[in-house]
Amino acid sequence: MMPLDRRRFLVGSGLGATAALLGGARLTPAQAAEQLMVVQWGAAWIDVSRKIVETYTKETGDKIAWELHAGGAMAIVAKIRPQWPNVGYNLISAWDPVFQAMIKEDWLEPVSLDEMPALKDIPPAFFQKDAAGRLMSVPLSTSGAFWGYREDLVDKPIESVEQLLEPRFKGKLCVPYPVNLTGLLMLTLAMQRGGNERNIEPGWALLKELAQRGQIGRVINNNSEFINAMSSGETSVAFFNIGAWTQVRKNFPTKILSRLADNRGFLFNEGFAIVKSDKDKVAASKRFANYFATPAINEMYNLPLGEGPTNSKAKPGDDIADVFYKPDELARYAYIADFAYMASQVDLWAKRWETEITPLLRT
Amino acid sequence: MTAGAPRSWGLVAPALLLLVVGLVCPLVYLARESLHPFVDGRALPTGWTVTNYAELLRPAYAFYFFDTLRFGLVVSALALALGTPLAWIAARTARSALRRAILGLLIGLLFTNLVARLYAILVTYGTTGPFSGFARLFGLSAASPGFAAILVGIGLLHFVLPVAALTLIGTFQNLNPRLEEAASSLGAPRWRVALGILLPLAAPGLISAFLITFAMCISNFVVPLLLGRGVVLFTTNLMYVRITEIANYPSGAAIGIIMLVLVFAIVYGLSALARRLLPGEATS
Repeated sequence: MMPLDRRRFLVGSGLGATAALLGGARLTPAQAAEQLMVVQWGAAWIDVSRKIVETYTKETGDKIAWELHAGGAMAIVAKIRPQWPNVGYNLISAWDPVFQAMIKEDWLEPVSLDEMPALKDIPPAFFQKDAAGRLMSVPLSTSGAFWGYREDLVDKPIESVEQLLEPRFKGKLCVPYPVNLTGLLMLTLAMQRGGNERNIEPGWALLKELAQRGQIGRVINNNSEFINAMSSGETSVAFFNIGAWTQVRKNFPTKILSRLADNRGFLFNEGFAIVKSDKDKVAASKRFANYFATPAINEMYNLPLGEGPTNSKAKPGDDIADVFYKPDELARYAYIADFAYMASQVDLWAKRWETEITPLLRT
Repeated sequence: MTAGAPRSWGLVAPALLLLVVGLVCPLVYLARESLHPFVDGRALPTGWTVTNYAELLRPAYAFYFFDTLRFGLVVSALALALGTPLAWIAARTARSALRRAILGLLIGLLFTNLVARLYAILVTYGTTGPFSGFARLFGLSAASPGFAAILVGIGLLHFVLPVAALTLIGTFQNLNPRLEEAASSLGAPRWRVALGILLPLAAPGLISAFLITFAMCISNFVVPLLLGRGVVLFTTNLMYVRITEIANYPSGAAIGIIMLVLVFAIVYGLSALARRLLPGEATS
């Protein structure tokens, strides 16, 4: 992992600021400084964002206040609902299914390449769109969810999810509650047994086997719980997002199983969504999101997260080369889930977990 | 009604107003919300249904309600068992240093952040803690779900023990020591003084302490969240997931209303039982 040291940060931020100013983030006299409220994840996300914003604030005068996600990112949707339209948030850092939920609620401001020139370098497929085909998100990171394990705690390499049923993994599995990652755990288990999003029963069957055998030692709700469970050695095998895995990889030998012969890795995008508000706030929000999408800043943002930059002119960190796929590997190892469908099933899956799985975990 | 009654109403009116606005209104709204159908992606669903309650009355969900109430009853009983001697010594000891030490400990625990205390338990007795072998005393491994349940119990005890003991100190201080002396002088052995004189007199305080700790236990959210490792879930955790993660407000509201009704029933039942067992309390 390449550390984000002071030298690298200063060089990067200098280049980023220059690129941003040349690339369209230049302030005109008519642009008044604004105060923006941005919702961001904790841990590495907020750390790198704060560092980037130090330079941004000096350049633009915009002041940024942060609020951290509590629980999974989808929780922000539940938080906004009762407050809408009197919401204090201007930008929300989240991922594809959360963007879809907010698009459905009609809370988001569309973005355009004309207003935000840095978006021209981001592949169109990465954007979340509304029914009219308008771009509704600012993708900053290509992320993924994978199985993986601590190599120092597992005696023999894992080559298939089926191996997790072996007695040596009793109490050693860490899995997310099915509402996390919009139920990707259910999907990976279903795919292991020949199912998919719409044929999820094989996944429940495998999950019940794992629960009945006592393999699941920890059910987590967020990145911090995952990092604690894996870093403390309480559990040694897990399925979770690459951002959280990266934090574990910094300190422990960790194998990410992104190239399993009988399963897939799940890819998705993270980034910003701009919440509807008055004209000046929206303009400032677009300015801010565009800055994060410029090549140097996008590169710098993703480096400590262990995620891939979305700007095609930005370089991914060396440490994630072994995790993400080369173009010719995508068809074989990667899977883009139908998050819109899965989001519609999460309520049902959560209830099935509560009634069919939790009682098994307690026995 | 006396002439002072209007003035009394004037004094209690602000508190009553606050109670209605801050407590009754949200609960009424919660009950109303629980009768709406869940529509994914709709903030304000229309229509009425009892599906949210029907779902929760399935046997599978009885497990959660039973488990939550079981933790409440066991931990409250333990809090009374451990808090009573502490409170008794603090109330009756002639050594002021000892009284101050007990009070300091209890109040100190009360003011120490609960999350910090829970993480202290986790790092000490958790799977990688220096005392993870503690689990073997119960015939369990530190990574087992059974031990997660024990840690949740210990966490709840941390939370309610100071409250139980401090509540009981007041109760014991109000017991007149001369009653014990009179009973002893008439030849009653110590156990009979304790069971025949002190226990009936302290019963209202003991019941109050039990009910307070019981309510604190079953409404707790953070203890199972941090120590339950995702395998010990209280009804509050189910509510949290429903409302904040899935935005299924109606189902979350239904869980809250069922818990409210159950708790009222249990508190009323225990109070009624106490009145029957302690006739003197019937008029109080």
